[in-house]
Amino acid sequence: MASASAFGPVNAFGVPASRASAPGFRLVDVTAPAGIQFQHNNGAYGGKLLPETLGSGCAFLDYDADGWQDILLINGMDWPGRQRERTTLKLYRNNRNGTFSDMTRSAGLDVEMYGMGVAVGDYNNDGYPDLLITCVGQNRLFKNTGKGTFVNVTKPSGLGGRQAFSTSALWFDFDRDGLLDLFVCNYVKWSPEHDVFCSLDGKRKSYCTPEAYRGETCWLFRNRGDGTFEDATATSGIFDSSSKSLGVAMLDYDRDGWPDLLVANDTQPNKLYRNQRNGTFKDVAVDAGIAFSAEGKARAGMGVDVGDFDNSGMPGVAITNFDNEMIGLFQASSSGNYTDIAVRSGVGLASKDKLGFGCLLLDADLDGFLDLAVVNGHIDDTVRNVRNVGYAQPPQLFLNNGKGIFRDVASELGGGFAQPKVGRGLAYGDFDRDGDLDLLVTCNHGPAYLYRNDQLAGNRSIRFRLMGTKSNRDAIGATVRIFHGGGSQSRLVKGGSSYLSQSELPVTFGVGKRDKIDRLLILWPSGRSEEYKDLAVGQVYQCVEGKGITALAGF
Amino acid sequence: MELKIAALYSRGVPLSPGPRRSPTSGLFLGLVITLAAVVAYSVYITRQISGLRELQNNLVDRNRKDSLQLLRIQNEVNALALAMRDMLANDEPYPLTAWTAQFQRIRADLDDALRLEQKFAVSDRTPEQRQYLQASLSQFWDAVDRTFALARDGKEAEARTQIRISLQARQEALSSAVARLLVQNNESEEQEALHIRQIYDRVQRQVYLFLTATLIAILLTSLYLIRSNRQLFAQLAQLSEQRSELAQSLISTQESTLRHISRELHDEFGQVLTAIGSMLSRAGNQAPEGSVLRADLREVCEIAQGTLDKVRSLSQALHPVMLDEAGLESTLDWYLPVVERQTGIHISYEKSGTSFTVDGNAAIHVYRVLQEALNNIIRHAGAKEASVRLGFLAEGLELDVEDHGKGFVAQAGNPGMGLVAMRERAELLGGTIEFMKPSQGGTLVRLKVPREKLNSHAE
Repeated sequence: MASASAFGPVNAFGVPASRASAPGFRLVDVTAPAGIQFQHNNGAYGGKLLPETLGSGCAFLDYDADGWQDILLINGMDWPGRQRERTTLKLYRNNRNGTFSDMTRSAGLDVEMYGMGVAVGDYNNDGYPDLLITCVGQNRLFKNTGKGTFVNVTKPSGLGGRQAFSTSALWFDFDRDGLLDLFVCNYVKWSPEHDVFCSLDGKRKSYCTPEAYRGETCWLFRNRGDGTFEDATATSGIFDSSSKSLGVAMLDYDRDGWPDLLVANDTQPNKLYRNQRNGTFKDVAVDAGIAFSAEGKARAGMGVDVGDFDNSGMPGVAITNFDNEMIGLFQASSSGNYTDIAVRSGVGLASKDKLGFGCLLLDADLDGFLDLAVVNGHIDDTVRNVRNVGYAQPPQLFLNNGKGIFRDVASELGGGFAQPKVGRGLAYGDFDRDGDLDLLVTCNHGPAYLYRNDQLAGNRSIRFRLMGTKSNRDAIGATVRIFHGGGSQSRLVKGGSSYLSQSELPVTFGVGKRDKIDRLLILWPSGRSEEYKDLAVGQVYQCVEGKGITALAGF
Repeated sequence: MELKIAALYSRGVPLSPGPRRSPTSGLFLGLVITLAAVVAYSVYITRQISGLRELQNNLVDRNRKDSLQLLRIQNEVNALALAMRDMLANDEPYPLTAWTAQFQRIRADLDDALRLEQKFAVSDRTPEQRQYLQASLSQFWDAVDRTFALARDGKEAEARTQIRISLQARQEALSSAVARLLVQNNESEEQEALHIRQIYDRVQRQVYLFLTATLIAILLTSLYLIRSNRQLFAQLAQLSEQRSELAQSLISTQESTLRHISRELHDEFGQVLTAIGSMLSRAGNQAPEGSVLRADLREVCEIAQGTLDKVRSLSQALHPVMLDEAGLESTLDWYLPVVERQTGIHISYEKSGTSFTVDGNAAIHVYRVLQEALNNIIRHAGAKEASVRLGFLAEGLELDVEDHGKGFVAQAGNPGMGLVAMRERAELLGGTIEFMKPSQGGTLVRLKVPREKLNSHAE
């Protein structure tokens, strides 16, 4: 050990870490200087009720449409009859100078609810993003008035009258009518009265795994365009009473321009809902090889993200799982079959003793390859007594070397990022508009963290903000593809992904040291495709469907 | 002399008892048997192993794969039960038709599992058993289709009743059918495990048997080899003894023959020649002084004298008469100066101890050994000096002949006839002879003869 410490940290292969290339960026914990003060309340009073351990999510959103990413942090509340304090979610407006202001009350969001996750989407195409907060109990739909306030429209929208244990959700336009529809994951059939006694050590009550409960179907709500939603769960073939869903991501699995869905299920097979272009979906997860682990076991899927991490144009998938199950990192073949490359890529072994929740595929070092960020944390603090696994666990950031190998550099990033946390939510967004992706992390019964990304290697990026005209205004479902020097990268404008969270909608491409890209191709959800040539990097482009693109000064 | 030779043969080089049987054929037979056993055993083991592999591949592995598919089927059948429970719970805001997709998924997976299951199913299942699951499932799906048809027609209550009275019962029947097959698979797996154990036991027994047989064969072969070896050695020893006896007889015969000739020459021819000489001398004296006759007679007389000298010296060379008449000690006193004179080698001669008489028959062998040893020095050693020591010891006679020349012991690998003869003579005397290398180089020949053999040496 003494000799190893003399040469700095040594990785698993006995090679001094200093010999591997430095990450090229660092993370700075700017939570406090940014003015973010948040403490998640899971309502835990000792009863160990199942929902307590699973929340909550977070989001980067531009709720005031000023071009600066704001922050939303979801919160729980005390259980009825066990009230000690009043807690609500927090909405932080970006002050455009690195600090944020708490606008929760003035925005009309200081509403008590047992919140879990959030989906941000402009369902009424008015230019201001609306919020769907998933809850234990009744989910809430908040319509953005455009004047800095939100109105609870749950009941008039037709989403009321439903009690469930909802988790992740996303907005997407599954019927391509230009209106965002809503997909909501539900976990299990749970109510405080039916909470089951589970124990890890045989003595004290601990949080249950979902085997103890009946599954609950996910929901699909079709946007009628008049501010109301129609329950399309049954008619679309989404209905499945055995699902125990925690994470959802949208993707175009078969590249037909119709959005498909990937749902991560806990102890149940994952679902890959293929859009059949007629308002119905068909689960093809088993055939695609993504329903089970390579051993044929249904794992405890938590968070999920989709991204073209091998720059093949085919969407790869990352799914976080329970400890002892590894992350599933699926590479897509052109025939639509998925292969789990977690072990081969180095992600598998590194994630084997972690219980992962939020996960994101993002180009953290702007080298042109999507990296993988994961936040971990166990569900029960008594786990240490029975297994050699921590309750708080370090987040991980796996850098993609472009050759199929991912290396966890979290401990080299600074900012306390790699400090063990009971991580749950994870989102990215360029809140300081410097062209790289900053990270927002939430912890169960703990604080939230805002990590600023500072590039050190001089890598550059190009960003695109899309606005649909015929398509939904958020352009969710649009595919953006750039070509440079013989290579190409693709991104999908999407909500959802990760766990209970949502990242910013603008897409970011890392381009290394390049000054320009050769070509930009946008496939809008409406079917329209647009192409632009020779764009300078180092700035953000406003792309309006059918109206061309405008370069903005800087990001 | 004829007598002696006859005696030599009667004493018995044994007439050959016919060629002794060589052990090679026995060993060869043993080898063939062993090889045959190994081959037979290898064939046996190979057949057992391939049988085992077949059992493993065709039955055990298949059975296991089949069980896995059955478990998958059971899992799906359970999923059906859960789905039906959810349908009857009536706590969803959805019509029963909402479950169609879920049932279709399960059905697709069940069909796939059933197809694989039938592929892996072991052959000992009866056609009825094979048909049963398939038939039960298709009946179940027919009932499901009917139920969903009712639900589609808006007859939800009726459909629920169908689920309760028909589908759930069929599902349970399916579940127990699958369970039965699993039990059956388990049992046949146990049987196969037993079968495999039996094969292992049998092979183990055979291994022990083979090892025992091999050990016994090795033991018998070894015993046979040892016995043959011993017989060979005994034969060799006997042959060596016979050869030695033969050699000694030859030496004795030679010595007695030589002595006989030597005596004849000395006694008969010597006297005749002496008589001739003196008669010629007398006749010469009677012949007139200066006559031709006188000169001729003197010449003939000188020839006779020369012949007498030659005869005497030949007699002496064949067998020193002196040995019989004056004894060994005096013979050596005479002999060694002769050798010095003839060869120019300086011989220092020492005697020690109180001398005793050495029988002539024994003395001749001691003399011959000395003669041979000196001959070797003269011929091979290239030494200018030699020493001879004769010791009259209490226990017997000891003769040392030593030189510091090149030495001839080095050629011991191919001993000349001289050395062999020396050995045989020493043995004839009942003594020992040693050929040593003195520290100064050269050779020391030491002959030791026990006292009692020196006086009563039998012919």
